[in-house]
Amino acid sequence: MTDNNELPEMPFRLSRRQIISGMAALGMVTGSARHALAQGPKRVIIPEGDFAPLPIAIPNFVAGTPADAEVGVGVTQVITNNLKRSGLFAPIDQAAYIEKVINIDAAPQFQNWKTINAQALVTGRMTRQGDGRLKAEFRLWDVNTAQQLAGQQYFTSPEYWRRIAHIISDQIYERLTGEKGYFDSRIVFVDETGPKERRVKRLAMMDQDGANVRYLTRGADLVLTPRFSPSTQEITYMEFGQGDPRVYLFNIETGQREIVGNFPGMSFSPRFSPDGQRVIMSLQQGGNSNLFVMDLRSKSTTRLTDTPAIDTSPSYSPDGSRICFESDRGGKPQIYVMAATGGPAQRISFGEGSYSTPVWSPRGDYIAFTKQGGGQFSIGIMKTDGSGERLLTSGYHNEGPTFAPNGRVLMFFREPGGGGGPSLFTVDISGRNEQKVPTPGFASDPAWSPLLS
Amino acid sequence: MKVKVDKTLIASVALHVCVLGWGLMSFSSKAFDLMPEDSVPVDVISSDQLAKVMAGMKTGQKAPTPLVEKVAEAKPVEDAVGKITEKPPVVTETTPPPAPEKPVEKKPDPPKPVAEAKPKEEPKKEEPKPIEKKPDPKVDPIAEAIKKEEKKPKPPVQAAKPPEPVKPKTERAFDQSKIAALLDKRDPSRQAVTGDTLNSNAALGLAKGKAADNSATWGALFQAQVERCWKKPYGGIEAQKSEAAFAIKLKRDGTLEGMPVPEGTPATPYLRVYQESALRAIIECQPYKLPAAYFDEWKYFAPVFTERKT
Repeated sequence: MTDNNELPEMPFRLSRRQIISGMAALGMVTGSARHALAQGPKRVIIPEGDFAPLPIAIPNFVAGTPADAEVGVGVTQVITNNLKRSGLFAPIDQAAYIEKVINIDAAPQFQNWKTINAQALVTGRMTRQGDGRLKAEFRLWDVNTAQQLAGQQYFTSPEYWRRIAHIISDQIYERLTGEKGYFDSRIVFVDETGPKERRVKRLAMMDQDGANVRYLTRGADLVLTPRFSPSTQEITYMEFGQGDPRVYLFNIETGQREIVGNFPGMSFSPRFSPDGQRVIMSLQQGGNSNLFVMDLRSKSTTRLTDTPAIDTSPSYSPDGSRICFESDRGGKPQIYVMAATGGPAQRISFGEGSYSTPVWSPRGDYIAFTKQGGGQFSIGIMKTDGSGERLLTSGYHNEGPTFAPNGRVLMFFREPGGGGGPSLFTVDISGRNEQKVPTPGFASDPAWSPLLS
Repeated sequence: MKVKVDKTLIASVALHVCVLGWGLMSFSSKAFDLMPEDSVPVDVISSDQLAKVMAGMKTGQKAPTPLVEKVAEAKPVEDAVGKITEKPPVVTETTPPPAPEKPVEKKPDPPKPVAEAKPKEEPKKEEPKPIEKKPDPKVDPIAEAIKKEEKKPKPPVQAAKPPEPVKPKTERAFDQSKIAALLDKRDPSRQAVTGDTLNSNAALGLAKGKAADNSATWGALFQAQVERCWKKPYGGIEAQKSEAAFAIKLKRDGTLEGMPVPEGTPATPYLRVYQESALRAIIECQPYKLPAAYFDEWKYFAPVFTERKT
């Protein structure tokens, strides 16, 4: 056993095979070293290098016709911005480029890109077609191995050039990180304008990078907690109309809205099931509230909890089998997990303070939450069994996390305190990379859509 | 309001600015690229231990071939002193035939200074192999002894056989099966040095002895250099299991002789990305400045990029 303990201190470690055999022999390290010497070349361990953003060069996309120069630059900027904001890439300033890419069909002079320390290179071309459509082509190169890693072409109407840029960003992200991208997605949020006493709250939608803001409601009524449907172009949200707050469905394409169920008392904190066929929400009954799920086709409602406590903020696991929610049945608000059909619930949050707004990652690995304690509001994540709790950001008021479609990034809103209003931020699940999301005014209650494509 | 300013003060300030500015310009320089020093592990050892490290014998002569007394599977003996006898186990009537037992640790060995480096060093008695023989009660001790006595030119040192002290026992646990061994009054003995070809000349050993390599030194150098180019992808939970190994061949000038050959195909997209990031680092960071003395060792080796905690 002793030799195993000694290993980490040695500047040059034994190889894994040696260690495994060493453990097997339990203390006969010399025996295992002899064993390892017999195999192949000497193994040199390079352990635990630091994570570092990948230096990538993205020269302006070539214009297929002279009229396409502007859109070429625009697409390049959107891609560069996306990759940079992800925190996983370090786009190199165009001023440093030695080579000007003129023809994307020929292999670039990799030495020129090596010189500026680029490890990846994106070349592309935008061409207006005879039929009015826009053709976008791109190639992703590995500078050191001089190989093409990805290459695609897309056709679209010219007004959707930003979406093309997001799709290309996703391709690059996926190829270089091994994760699905999240750039081709939207955010629905509550846009807030006006003075604090008479804040106008409108439902708004935008691309994940803050572009293309659209307003969905006029602001006559107070709206809260909008949530995207995973499978359709629908939103569910809570609205304070003339009477009690109600849960509504809103169709983005048609602009139609309908009330979900007709319940006595308040209904609030709605969320879609992963298949988009059901909406789970809280219904108030007397002094407490319980969780109900409603099938959108049959309109049948099922009660999931029956406690004298406040159960709210339900969120499905990605496979739809379980639900995490917030409940104060133990005294303070805490996070509980139970089967999607109801039944006994298991408390998973045990830290100091209270936990609220749990949301299950689309990857299924984490549950994000708002934690209140010590005079601060924090955004954090924990594994689905409650272990490995990690706070990503803390401050005066942070609330309402929502996961990007790949489960790697969270968006939330933050109020600085004082006279200002809330704004939207993203933070990756390591907590390293926090970014403000540009919005026209104050913004709160963001919800991330699934990938559009 | 008029402020009276001392001209000498202005001149002084101007002069200071000039001098300091000039100093900033001319003394600034690029940071020196410090080559990491070789790590030299130092141990204080006795001449006896030195002889062991050199794989030689104190009284031997400078010959490159190791001493071999018996043609068999190569199994050099660390300390070729003493009379050669395959000492059979003393089996008494009372003791049941010892079950395939744990090694009887007769000679607790002092901790080796370079344990990893000289794998073949332990005394025979700790080897699992001889123990396999011991429980075999059918070995005829007399026939065995005669067989041994027949041949074997004695190793030269045997004349100057040092008095072999009975090694102190560290294990005090009472073991019934060892009673016979304790009562055994015969001379301490050893086994024949075996090898491919007979060579009756004991050697002083080699410059490197049996030290396997100096990879502790050049491996650390390689690691320090390749890490500068490694842009490890961020991988979350599954990153903790990632590992990518390559076989690489380097030329004398430290550049790659060919493309690094990855070991195995990555199972997941993240592992693929992880492997690619390591490959990029190996290529980007060449040429490697490694000590030329050990070229034979680093001309072909396997860097392993790993997240696995040992």
